[in-house]
Amino acid sequence: MQEQDYILFEDYLSGKLDSEEKVAFENRLQKDLEFQEAFNTYKQASEFLENHIANEEKAEAFKSNLEAVSKKYFDKEASNRTSFKGINPWYYSIAAAAILVIGFFFTQQFSSPVYDNYANYGTISLTVRGTQSEILSKAETAFNTHNYEDAAMYFSELLKTDERNMELQLYKAVSLVELNNYAKADALFNHIIQTPSVYKNKAIWYLALSKLKQDDAVACISVLKTVPKDSEDYKQAQELLKKLK
Amino acid sequence: MLIHGYYIHSLIHKNHFKIVTLIMRSFFKFVKNKGFMSEKKNHEDQKYIEGLVANNTFIIQAIYDKFAPKVINYIKQNSGDAASAQDVIQETLITIYHQATEKNLQLTCPFDAYFFLICKRKWLNQLKKQGNKEVTINEEVLSKDDDAQELAFETSLFEQQHDLFKDMFEKLGQACKDLLKATFKIKSMEEVAESLGITYAYARKKKSLCIGKLTKLIQESPTYKNLKS
Repeated sequence: MQEQDYILFEDYLSGKLDSEEKVAFENRLQKDLEFQEAFNTYKQASEFLENHIANEEKAEAFKSNLEAVSKKYFDKEASNRTSFKGINPWYYSIAAAAILVIGFFFTQQFSSPVYDNYANYGTISLTVRGTQSEILSKAETAFNTHNYEDAAMYFSELLKTDERNMELQLYKAVSLVELNNYAKADALFNHIIQTPSVYKNKAIWYLALSKLKQDDAVACISVLKTVPKDSEDYKQAQELLKKLK
Repeated sequence: MLIHGYYIHSLIHKNHFKIVTLIMRSFFKFVKNKGFMSEKKNHEDQKYIEGLVANNTFIIQAIYDKFAPKVINYIKQNSGDAASAQDVIQETLITIYHQATEKNLQLTCPFDAYFFLICKRKWLNQLKKQGNKEVTINEEVLSKDDDAQELAFETSLFEQQHDLFKDMFEKLGQACKDLLKATFKIKSMEEVAESLGITYAYARKKKSLCIGKLTKLIQESPTYKNLKS
């Protein structure tokens, strides 16, 4: 293809041709296969550039988040394998652990459920490469070290500039539950549940846990009933429901 | 006579029914072929795709917990280790992310089958490149899901094309790269021209020529010829 062909492609794609030129262009597309092939590739290349360049930052954020999750998963996998390699002395501890688990299970079955048994928020990872913010990493550390007072403060700070961030809202609400600030926490959860965000199902489950912590079994049950089947906490929710009834 | 009449009546009735079902069947076939109805409904596992696009840590973690073990097992059984599994899984998820954000990927089969097929194909390709022929294909874990096969195939085509475009873009000269980056970030060609200190007409011309250069590089590469065939 000649230089003017590429210029023609661009003019056609950006709608700069008049109707006569457009007809001529489309005619040539039909007849000249080489021209057609080059045009298709040109169009694909434009689309690729548009996506690739416009989404570059988002894609980078996804990549670094993915790397963090992946590393955590594979580190855990490796440590699981090595800890079972030991031979004799380990059997005793495994047996002891099994007895403990069975005992725990029995007491669980016959006692009323407690918030602490379900409140497993794991560690969170908010920081992403490229958009490293000091408050964000402080919030993350505070939350992961169960320092909820600081965590709630940092989340509020962050939400001042990023008020629509559902992930931050969710963790802020969790921190508030831990601080027994239920009214605010429940209001936040209810807000997240109203939105179509991906954190919706988590918010329902955490709201139920908040009610559990408040010893409000009736409210807890009615929230648990709204946990949808495709939620990853559905099983746990059903289990808790059974115990509360 | 009465019995006879009833018999005939029921015969007509039966034929009627047959005709109606025939018409309905051909109607549905027609509708399906023309794609009037959304013939393939999205699978409920589409939530994983959406979670990836939204960069949702919970969902990414869930994908690892639920679907990674099978892939790790497979790779370990076929002359690989945990580290190679880690890379394969990561690359696969990045590809799915790109296809979902750029081409609006719609899942019509379980994520499990789709994801496993892509990882498997990727690992077998790597082994082939290393010249390692000791590959046992475990038929049992092979998915027989047609939709999954088709989707996984589409994704691998997408990946090859995406990689090709990315590699060729890197081969462009710095001036072209800068101009294209500015063009697709700023969108308005007037502003692009101003920011680069060139005229509007020249910026437009340069943009066509740079994408033209990229087009040429792509068309000349051997991968392009493979993808075409």
